[in-house]
Amino acid sequence: MDTKELIKTANRNLLRNKLRTLLTILAIFVGSFTLTMTNAVGDGVKDYIEKQVKNYEGSAVLFINKKRETKDEEALNSPAEYKEEVQDTSLEIPKGETLTFAQIDALSKTFPEVESFTPSYYQDTEYITLDGNKKYRVRLNALAKGMTQKIELGSQINGKNQIILQFDIAKAINEDLETLIGKNATVGYKLSADKTMQTIQLKVVGVATKGLMGSFSSTVDAETERQIYESQQKDSPDFNKFYSFSFQMKSSNAAKITEIKKQLDEKGFEALTYADQNKRTYDAVSIFQYAMGLFAFIALLAASFGIINTLVIAVMERTKEIGLQKALGMSKGKIFMQFSLESILIGFWGAVLGIVTAIILGTIANFFASTYYLESFEGYSLVVFKPLSIIFVILLITIIAFIAGVFPAYRASRLNPIEALRYE
Amino acid sequence: MLQAVDLVKTYKTDADEFRALDGVNVEIASDDCVAIIGKSGSGKSTLMHLLACLDSPTSGQILFDGGEVSKLSEKELNVLRNEKFGFVFQQFFLNGRDTVLDNVLLPLKIRGNYHFRMISDAMDALEAVGLKDKDDKRAKDLSGGEKQRVCIARALINKPKVIFADEPTGNLDSVNSEMIEDMLFRMNREKGIALIIVTHDSDLAKKCKRQIEMKDGKIIGEPEENLQG
Repeated sequence: MDTKELIKTANRNLLRNKLRTLLTILAIFVGSFTLTMTNAVGDGVKDYIEKQVKNYEGSAVLFINKKRETKDEEALNSPAEYKEEVQDTSLEIPKGETLTFAQIDALSKTFPEVESFTPSYYQDTEYITLDGNKKYRVRLNALAKGMTQKIELGSQINGKNQIILQFDIAKAINEDLETLIGKNATVGYKLSADKTMQTIQLKVVGVATKGLMGSFSSTVDAETERQIYESQQKDSPDFNKFYSFSFQMKSSNAAKITEIKKQLDEKGFEALTYADQNKRTYDAVSIFQYAMGLFAFIALLAASFGIINTLVIAVMERTKEIGLQKALGMSKGKIFMQFSLESILIGFWGAVLGIVTAIILGTIANFFASTYYLESFEGYSLVVFKPLSIIFVILLITIIAFIAGVFPAYRASRLNPIEALRYE
Repeated sequence: MLQAVDLVKTYKTDADEFRALDGVNVEIASDDCVAIIGKSGSGKSTLMHLLACLDSPTSGQILFDGGEVSKLSEKELNVLRNEKFGFVFQQFFLNGRDTVLDNVLLPLKIRGNYHFRMISDAMDALEAVGLKDKDDKRAKDLSGGEKQRVCIARALINKPKVIFADEPTGNLDSVNSEMIEDMLFRMNREKGIALIIVTHDSDLAKKCKRQIEMKDGKIIGEPEENLQG
């Protein structure tokens, strides 16, 4: 028999017992569906992260913090004898891990490729108001020099005392966003020493695009943040102690950035680009995918016993038929192939059914999610189906099905035609 | 054409050894018509299986057209059975859900290189057994006699040199039995296909040119030969 004829025969044999075939396919379907959905949800998140990274300008910015010493980590994790002593309770992290402005400045000067640096200023704001009456809670976030924020309307920050409003706050202040641009806003903050309220005047230059990352904070420039920081923290014991900072590079040359990361690493600093930071989220998503994939794989493993069962029964039922085929000159290999093809077809159809169902349900879920829940995450699809993932699922399941079919197919190929044809 | 020399076939059981065939010598001519008779357990089926190359002897040889069958590879044996032999069984062994035509085509499908001329060959074979008008019927919907005629058509389609018939009329009533017998003998006469029938129906055996009677794995004679002679 040629391959075409074998496939035809395999399909016909599967259709002989439709219910049994369907039930076996359904077991595979569950695994296929789970695997496809897991991939799709994970790819949805990854896809979004990738889009976000693309939306931010800032491939030449390094975010740096001092690495924690391993021995400190051990000390934190092991029991330690308590000694009463006067401690600076305002500092929870060992002093050695913070740097002063001057220290960061000195460090940056050792790298000729560094154009400028920005320490991570800590500030805590209370409210924002445009008309002086209606106040809204607000958090400020400064973009490191060299980074830009995607905006809905208005313009980017190009100087001191400017603010890009967070989308929801802007909407709350005035539905008509256009009217906000160019207005003056007052932001209130409390001094850390005596808790008295201070204010700063900022000019609204834009409204940020709704998005997943940084979507809870309004954006100011680093200089403004520094101004608030110095006013708010100057009497605090934490003043001029920075846990992290960023370097703005002269170029976004990847090789140079890698080299600087390496040098910083030798000096005991951890340096990450914006893409590196996102990669962590990306990796976490990958781990989720692997974990869920493992469950799907277990489901497939269980289903493969279904295939074995179905085929073992089929071999028993068709003993005489196999005997006749062998008597009429069909080779062992062809008999093996015939049953293997049946298991592969079960796997294939189960995989296709699972994928098609996943795509239909995923598309419906995407529609509802984008309409009702994920409105604020522009560009985010709950599930993304990638052709490569789908091909992978089909291949994996087909291979598993083939392996499951090996034992029954081998049994069929080994049948003795005389025994098989003997009248009972 | 087909020759058995000192055939011995033993089956080992846990306790002892069972000699199904014990030194059998047979020669079958290319236009022969032979009945192998004997009680059950006499070794007649074993002899047929060995002659049909479905099994290999413990010792002794099978020669087909002068060539030693034991020297052929498994693949060559498959080809030999597929191209030179036809089989008719008591239990028919038709695929009930397939059409009559598909059942008849099976040996050619197994051979491969499927093409449309085969269908006209199959229709010729069906015409020879008088079932040309039932080619698209499902095999399970046929009567017993018709089923066996499909089997004969299936045995004929590869234009075999030998047809092995194992109790071909065992499941049929007398009218159908006669029809099948006539058909088999006609193929033997008109197409020169050797016919080897295993049966314990002495009436059927008598109609064959030769009868080989077996007992305890040995040929005890060809008793009817003299009567016919």
